[in-house]
Amino acid sequence: MEEKTFDPDLIRAIFKLVWEKRGAEREKNQLSENEAEVQFQLHLCAKVSLFRWTKYDEEKQANSCSLSNTANGNALKLSCELLRVFVAEAIQRAAAIAEAEGSLKIEATHLERILPQLLLDF
Amino acid sequence: MASDVERGEEEEEEEESASELLRDRFRLCTISIAETEAKRNGMEISQPIMACISDLAFKYAKQLARDVELFAQHAGRKSINMEDVILSAHRNDHLSASLRSFSNNLKAKEPQSDRKRKKITKKEDKAAKEVLHIDS
Repeated sequence: MEEKTFDPDLIRAIFKLVWEKRGAEREKNQLSENEAEVQFQLHLCAKVSLFRWTKYDEEKQANSCSLSNTANGNALKLSCELLRVFVAEAIQRAAAIAEAEGSLKIEATHLERILPQLLLDF
Repeated sequence: MASDVERGEEEEEEEESASELLRDRFRLCTISIAETEAKRNGMEISQPIMACISDLAFKYAKQLARDVELFAQHAGRKSINMEDVILSAHRNDHLSASLRSFSNNLKAKEPQSDRKRKKITKKEDKAAKEVLHIDS
């Protein structure tokens, strides 16, 4: 019996959207950070500011080089499984509450009761 | 200056429409999974609740993308790994154990392994899932 799960391509598309957004934001932030850093360093003595500037430059290079942009195939399948478990847990916990109340349909009241614990667990 | 602002607004609109498209596709997947789960318990789900759960899972997926990217970056890698995904579930022991056994299944299925190994890993998978349900 094959279980229904999320489409790995859909998950990859979502990941890429988030990563590209983060990359663009990071570029914008770095530009403004550069300006602020330069202004700050101008106030200090020459030797100290030079040392700090080179160190900051190295850190910046290290951070910008390692932005993720690809996903392992198995990692995507695992993410699909994780999201499937999330949805399944939400439904099952809400169904348990609905059953205890004696109703046949899962409603908003059932969902909001399980929501805090669900978000803490995940 | 004005053209920059316009370009920024256009990019934002494009991003939003792409995000909406993904959200709709995500909702379709969620609906099929949720209906299977609900049938298992003999319950029905109301449509607004379905949309709520789908949006919740979509936000969780976006959060997962950020977490997994940070873990990979921290490890000095450019592409995300199965270990990154397992790490993002570190808050719940049963969940990470279940994910770990799932990842072992995936690793075992990759090369053409013997049937014996597949049988054993299927049993482990079932046991891990039972543990998850009992805990909830």
